[in-house]
Amino acid sequence: MKVYTCCGHETVVKRIYCPSCGTSDIQEQEISDHGTIYSFTKIHVPPVEFAEIAPYNVVLVQLMNTTAKVTGRLMGDVSIGDTVELDRVENGAYLYKKV
Amino acid sequence: MTKTYIHGVGMTKFGNHSDRTLKSLLLDASRQALEAAGRPKIDAVFVGNFLAGSMSNQEILGAIVANDLGLGYIPTAKVEGACASGGIALRQGILGVMSGEYDTVLVAGVEKMKHANTPDVTQAINAAMDTDSNEKHAGLTFPGFFGVLAHRYFHETGATKEHLAMVALKNRENALNNPLAQFQKATSIEEIMNARLITEPLGLFDCSPMTDGAAAIVISRKPSSIHVRASALVSGPTQMQDAAELLSIPAIGESGRRAYEKAGLGPEDIDVIEIHDCFSMTEIIAIEELGFFKRLEGWKAVETGHTKPGGKKPVNTSGGLLSRGHPIGATGLSQIYHLVHQLNGTAPNQVEGARIALAQNLGGTGSYSAVHILERL
Repeated sequence: MKVYTCCGHETVVKRIYCPSCGTSDIQEQEISDHGTIYSFTKIHVPPVEFAEIAPYNVVLVQLMNTTAKVTGRLMGDVSIGDTVELDRVENGAYLYKKV
Repeated sequence: MTKTYIHGVGMTKFGNHSDRTLKSLLLDASRQALEAAGRPKIDAVFVGNFLAGSMSNQEILGAIVANDLGLGYIPTAKVEGACASGGIALRQGILGVMSGEYDTVLVAGVEKMKHANTPDVTQAINAAMDTDSNEKHAGLTFPGFFGVLAHRYFHETGATKEHLAMVALKNRENALNNPLAQFQKATSIEEIMNARLITEPLGLFDCSPMTDGAAAIVISRKPSSIHVRASALVSGPTQMQDAAELLSIPAIGESGRRAYEKAGLGPEDIDVIEIHDCFSMTEIIAIEELGFFKRLEGWKAVETGHTKPGGKKPVNTSGGLLSRGHPIGATGLSQIYHLVHQLNGTAPNQVEGARIALAQNLGGTGSYSAVHILERL
C-alpha cells in the first residue's frame, strides 16, 4: 500500500496540490498493509448495490507508521483497536481482515 | 453595506404528501411567503433542491416558480448543495441583495422523497458523497459516516447510545407541539434504544426520515423587524478518511466562526438555535463546533437538559430534522421559518424573549455548512 505525503499531510489518495504549500511536489511512500481499527459501523440498511452482502462493516483503519487513515470493508465482528491487514483490493474497495 | 431583512415566511406541513406533486408543494410554500410579505415585486428567485432531477425527473424549478406565480421574466436558479441546498439558496439570495443587484428575492426549498423505496433513496442520497472514491466502493453510506463517528465518540468520551436517544427524544417532544412537524407521536428512551439498527450504533430514531415538504422566505433590502445579521458558508472534507480529526466537522466550526465574526456576536449571545441534526450524533458534534459547549462535552449538555426548550441553549425547538422531518432542499429554509416565528414570539416551544437566533444547515458528511444569524429589531 502507498501513502502520498507533503508538508506533513499523509493521505491514501494522491492530491493534485498540497493543501499547505500548493505545489504538486507530492512524495510517494510504501507502507505496511497492517493497521488498527480507528472506528467502524455495521451497515444494516445498504444502498441497492450492496444489498446482497449486508450487514457488513465499513471500517476506518489507522494505517501503521503514518498519520493516514483509509476507509475499507471488513466482514464479521470488529471492535475499535483490533489489528487488521489488507486482504485485497476489489472493485475499488480496500477489503480488510482481522489478524 | 446593504442590509437584508426577512419579510415573509411560508412552509407546508412536513410528512407524506403522496397525493401532491413536487411543484404543488413548492408553489404552496412560495405563495404563503409572498402573501406574508404583502405580495412585493420579486426581482429574483433561488430554489434549494437536491433530488428533484433524480427522483421526480424535474428540473427548471426556478423558472417554474417565476412562471407559475406570474413573477415576470426575472433571473432564477436552482441551487444544489446536498442537504444544505436550502441554506445555500438563501445565501445566494442574500448576496444578490447585498450586491445591490436585487431589492427583493424569493428563496424557496423543496423535496419529494416518500414515493420511493428506502434502498433507492439511500442510493440517491449517496450522491452527497464522493462517489468516485474507495469509500463509496467499500459500501459506506451517508448514515454510515455518522455511525463511524458515533462509535469513535463513545470510545473517546463517556457518551453512550443513551445520550443519542436523549437527543432524539428531546426533538420528538419538541415536534409534538409543532403542527407542521412530520412526527407527532410520543415516544420513550426505551423505544428509541430498542428500535431496529440502521448503521451501528445508530437506530431508526437516530436518523432523520424521508420527508415531502417545502419552505420559502421573502428577503429584501427594505427594512422589516427581522434582520439577517450574518450569512456564512464553507466547504469541508468530502471523504471520511480525509478528516484530520474524525470527531470534528470543520465546515460547521468554520461557518460558525465566520458568522459570529460578521455578526460581531459570539455563541453566548444566541438565544435560540436550529441545527442540522440529520443524525442524533450530528447534533452533539454541531453544538460543540458552534461553541455552545466544549469539545467532547456536548453529550453532557444533552444529559443535563441544557438544549431543551427551558435550558440555557435551546436547540431544535421545532423538532429538528429528526422529528420535524428532512425534505432535503427545504430543510435549511424551514429552520429559518421556525426561527422567524421564535423571534416574533409565535413559535411552538417559544423561547421567552428570544432576540438572536442561529440556523446551521449541513450538506453531505460535512461537505458544506451554512450558518445564518437573525436578529429581532
